[in-house]
Amino acid sequence: MDYTETRRHELRKRRLMMVDGHLTLNSQTTDAGASARIYQGGYWGFASANDTTPASTLRMKAQAGRNAAAMARFGAKDTRALPGGTYRGEHVFRGRPAIGQQECVERMAAIHAWCKQRYPDLVSTRILLQDEHHSKWVATSTGSEVLNSIQRAACAVTFTAIGDTGTPVELYEPISAKGSLADLDLSVEALAPWLDQLHGHLQAKRHSVPARGGQHTIVLAPDLAGILAHEAMGHPCEADIVLGGAVTGDLVGQRIASELITMVDVAHTFNGEEAMIPVYADDEGTPARDAVLIKDGVLTDFMNSRETSQRLGLTPTGSARAYAPTDEPLVRMRNTVILPGTRKLADMLSEVEDGYFLMKTSNGQADSTTEFMFGIPLAYEIKAGKLGRAIRDTTLSGSAIKVLQSADAVSDDMSWNCAGYCGKKQPMVVSMGGPALRVRAHLGGE
Amino acid sequence: MGAVMNLQDTAGHALAQMRAAGFEHAQVTAAHSQLNELNVNHNEPSLLRSTDSRKLSLMGIVDGRMASTEVADLDPEAIRSRVAGLFADAAAAPRDAANAVSAGQHTRVVKGPQEAQLDTLAAKMGELLAFRQRETPRMIVEEADAKHTLYRWHTLTTGGSDLGGSLGWYGMMVAGSAREGRACSSLNYAYGAADSLTAAPAVDFFGIGEMMRQTERQIHTEPLGARFVGDVVLSPDAVASLLGWLQGHLGDTQLIAGSSLYRASVGQPIASSLLTLRSRFDAPGVAPVSPDGFNAPPVTIVREGVLQALTPSLYGSRKTGLLHVPVAGSGWEVAAGATPRAELLAGISRGAVVGQFSMGNPAANGDFSGVIKNSLRITDGVVGPALSETMVSGNMSRMLREIVAVSRERIDSGGLLLPWIRVANLHFS
Repeated sequence: MDYTETRRHELRKRRLMMVDGHLTLNSQTTDAGASARIYQGGYWGFASANDTTPASTLRMKAQAGRNAAAMARFGAKDTRALPGGTYRGEHVFRGRPAIGQQECVERMAAIHAWCKQRYPDLVSTRILLQDEHHSKWVATSTGSEVLNSIQRAACAVTFTAIGDTGTPVELYEPISAKGSLADLDLSVEALAPWLDQLHGHLQAKRHSVPARGGQHTIVLAPDLAGILAHEAMGHPCEADIVLGGAVTGDLVGQRIASELITMVDVAHTFNGEEAMIPVYADDEGTPARDAVLIKDGVLTDFMNSRETSQRLGLTPTGSARAYAPTDEPLVRMRNTVILPGTRKLADMLSEVEDGYFLMKTSNGQADSTTEFMFGIPLAYEIKAGKLGRAIRDTTLSGSAIKVLQSADAVSDDMSWNCAGYCGKKQPMVVSMGGPALRVRAHLGGE
Repeated sequence: MGAVMNLQDTAGHALAQMRAAGFEHAQVTAAHSQLNELNVNHNEPSLLRSTDSRKLSLMGIVDGRMASTEVADLDPEAIRSRVAGLFADAAAAPRDAANAVSAGQHTRVVKGPQEAQLDTLAAKMGELLAFRQRETPRMIVEEADAKHTLYRWHTLTTGGSDLGGSLGWYGMMVAGSAREGRACSSLNYAYGAADSLTAAPAVDFFGIGEMMRQTERQIHTEPLGARFVGDVVLSPDAVASLLGWLQGHLGDTQLIAGSSLYRASVGQPIASSLLTLRSRFDAPGVAPVSPDGFNAPPVTIVREGVLQALTPSLYGSRKTGLLHVPVAGSGWEVAAGATPRAELLAGISRGAVVGQFSMGNPAANGDFSGVIKNSLRITDGVVGPALSETMVSGNMSRMLREIVAVSRERIDSGGLLLPWIRVANLHFS
């Protein structure tokens, strides 16, 4: 049976970059378009254009239909109807009234001036402000009519100093929030403790030592558990990756992690509060539900789209999302989290005789084997239960299954962020969160 | 799919509006791109995409204050409204004497196939899938595409620059892993752009066929299980990671922030004499024009290990006092070496052939560590099994100096033409 979806899509972005008081980027962009996607005879046709009028949408539907029909040259395919259900609703975040470019520039200038006066040893201070607002009106032949509006904002500061070796040492840290830049408190008073902490870590990093390469006991700060969830097990639990041969396809119902680990891709609500990237219905108009990927250490579910849920015989999760007007929905994470445990971070550190405390991450990558890595720009040695010297930039890696199976402590606190992009053919705004974890994993080093 | 748009008129009207709004200097680019793309998922043809995207990019300067914007709504009233908003954005910015626009630049570039041939896309995807079934049946093509892109643009500045053209190119991308029972290789990929895909079988482009064969060889892996200092043979994709780091240190952000390792190194050796890095701005899908509106003549960045030029934009140049060197958005090659690829392994007692680096951003001083993916063990000059959970660490700057051989053979992916490179003395763990 055929399926049709149309999407009117507007994507507004703002980016400002100040390097040592000079505004090197001062940009606002708007992308908009109408698209149609048609499933016919087991093939998809997709078409998009900038014109968002009803007439344009009709033209896109006609073109998408021709494209689907043109695929028939490759032969007959599975033509069963796509599952997924119907949703009608509008979800728009009502944050503070947006602030203008002038206010953004004034706040950046104030932060820069304060840093210059307070931290005279820095050779450079970079401040990046960005927010983006996605509005998607989706209608499907199954009767769904949805407005999804997602907004997120971030402020990132990079400090550069000269290290012991006479070469530059950098440290970067973002903060993020649901909403626009107005929803982040960018006053110097609010940011001062955070900036002092960042500067303190940079001072330690100026005298840092190389990590010892190899397997170690690692305590991951709460800021890192989210990226572990996202990269290490999140991607291998996306149903399209499973269909591509990921090892997780054979492991449903099996213990793949310590029983301390429960991991969820949250659709829209966590502990009674709306998540940072709330998805009530996805870009296929499918009602979204939480996907409990790992329950007490056992692999239980995958995130999926209408098509992948049909192929794998799963209940749809509403995880199909498109980034730009020219993009088709793909299976994407929403708000991926490892649930908190019962331990205190301080106790988890004090019990380590010889290991490392990893505090910040830069980027990460996943693999269908569940082998993952992420960059570590800030970490400290742990010696006899106490934090020691900072270590130089390194990389954490391992098999997610082995690492999560080694988890022997999970803290009772949580950290969420929505600052980064997930990359998978298209970029995507996602959030991630988690508690501190203690695991065995591989650190890069000499 | 969409009507042909007069880009010169659109850009001209927008520039007039920028002037009327009070901007003293401005750059305007009207662009129209059309994409036809045939997609494969999980070994099966799945989707045919047609997209038509128009965009107007505006950058304005008033009293030394700059702001920029992009809009997709090209209705004159919408543009007028956005130009007014842009003026307010610029007025809010701090004054910066380095802000400027290009002047006196002229070019028209028309190259590559200007019309999509859907039959070509279908035929190439058919060849790819037949190859997979016949030669590499354990490979699962997670996603692949064959596509044609037509990009037309017109840039005008208040300084009288007038640059435009129309680029057409074909492209292919293949990504996937190989499986046997429960064993699974790492994800691997190959991609590139070309003016034509008809001259050879699909798998002969961009190293696609070799990648698929290699991926099947990587199903069963072994951890290295040892820590040592050894040599690596970097595949072109891993070479691209090294070059990306170098080029970051030659561009605006690092030069302006004072964190570039090479700001004072022009004329000095920064790499092995075996390394020459130069532009190929005539590559498929590339126009010899910089994003800030300058003609970009051919340039050699590193000649036999000696740094020849930094690459600040006009703004970066005015900000730092360094020579402005316009470069296109892509289009680079590393000169072929004298060593046959097969001989790069000779004399390596312990090391690896590195398919890809998977790593965090290198530190500001070039220190890095990363997982080597799609990689093979080398012992006594012989390639062994595929590796898992293996990391290398070192320093990017030192790696450039530790290049000990460059292959004769190169892979042409359009925007990059790169050889295999052997580098000594990396730490394995």
